[in-house]
Amino acid sequence: MNPRAGTITDYITVATRWLLGGVFVYMGLTKALEPASFLKLVRQYDLVHTPFLLNSIAASLPWFEVFCGLLLLAGIAVRGTSLALTAILIPFTAVVWHRALILQGAKGIPFCAVKFDCGCGAGEEFICHKLLANAGLIVVGTWLLAGRGRLLAIRYSLSSQGLPPKPAPAPAAATET
Amino acid sequence: MVVAVAAAFAFLANAMSPRGLNLARNYFPKAAPTAQATPKVSASAATQAPTPATPAVSSPTNAPAENSEIEETDQRIKDKGLQPVERAEMERIYNSPRYQQGYVIFIDARNPDFYADSHIPGAYPLDFYHPAKDLAEDLTPCQNAEQVIVYCTGGECEDAESTAIMLRDDAHIPTKKIFVYGGGFDDWSGHHLPLERGARNSGLPPEANK
Repeated sequence: MNPRAGTITDYITVATRWLLGGVFVYMGLTKALEPASFLKLVRQYDLVHTPFLLNSIAASLPWFEVFCGLLLLAGIAVRGTSLALTAILIPFTAVVWHRALILQGAKGIPFCAVKFDCGCGAGEEFICHKLLANAGLIVVGTWLLAGRGRLLAIRYSLSSQGLPPKPAPAPAAATET
Repeated sequence: MVVAVAAAFAFLANAMSPRGLNLARNYFPKAAPTAQATPKVSASAATQAPTPATPAVSSPTNAPAENSEIEETDQRIKDKGLQPVERAEMERIYNSPRYQQGYVIFIDARNPDFYADSHIPGAYPLDFYHPAKDLAEDLTPCQNAEQVIVYCTGGECEDAESTAIMLRDDAHIPTKKIFVYGGGFDDWSGHHLPLERGARNSGLPPEANK
């Protein structure tokens, strides 16, 4: 753990890191425990037609999210994990948006009245709520990507720079004056 | 590096999970339409069952929207080379001695949690996504029966069709014996027809608040 005391901004940043990690653990577990249901939802997007590819996405994505969420909660490889999650959130949001537009056209209802299970892990949601939530998660991910959230991180970076600073050697004659 | 480790973890977790997916399996088989797929086949007429007391027609109490949805589902079933069955005929079969004697069996293709919660009394469970255990137990009744009627939730649920295709292609149950109840569990339970909870033939009524 980083023993340095943090500012209020540091604590807020840690809270957002935990929030992002917690959301992904929860969403991932919801899908990972019912992979067959998630498989059907992924299929509805009609983006992948090869069974192996479709199964691989449905089988791995939820656990991928759980793993990344745990890394964020623990504060391990924070920037790399944030980058990975933000990188998948952006295309997912675009795909969900596109499907909502299709449903809106089919049902002839206002965009924000479109409600469906996007396979995100929270069941049926109104599309505008979902897009706002995703936008929030992307902002948090980008915020962490900028190098914040070091407080209470077990291993902020996998490189040596992520290790806690070594204590300075005791000055031999520091008190001599 | 994070992506690689997370991906490795993800595939390993799926492989170890009892509910994990088989990556090589096609969970959405598309059956080639067969010659007998086009006309609606009466499940009772197909095997010379005793003459039913009422004709095999859709319930007149169905709302137009409900009828439209059922027709759409039945058409999808036919397009897969399978034979649809309507609720009126399901009721008649359920109340006939042939059902009690095992000449006709129902297969519930929903997941085990839904089955345990409530199912058509006497229906055999067969979780399409993890069929090994159920199929071993259901195979003999399927082979011995003259008709096998598969259902899932109904409507957009295609698990009954996939299960029917699996029974035909993998368990080698003859196509002419296999039927799909397109309305499914929602149609059956929505018309307050008999249900039971827990294990097959438990006789337990569903919980009141469900």
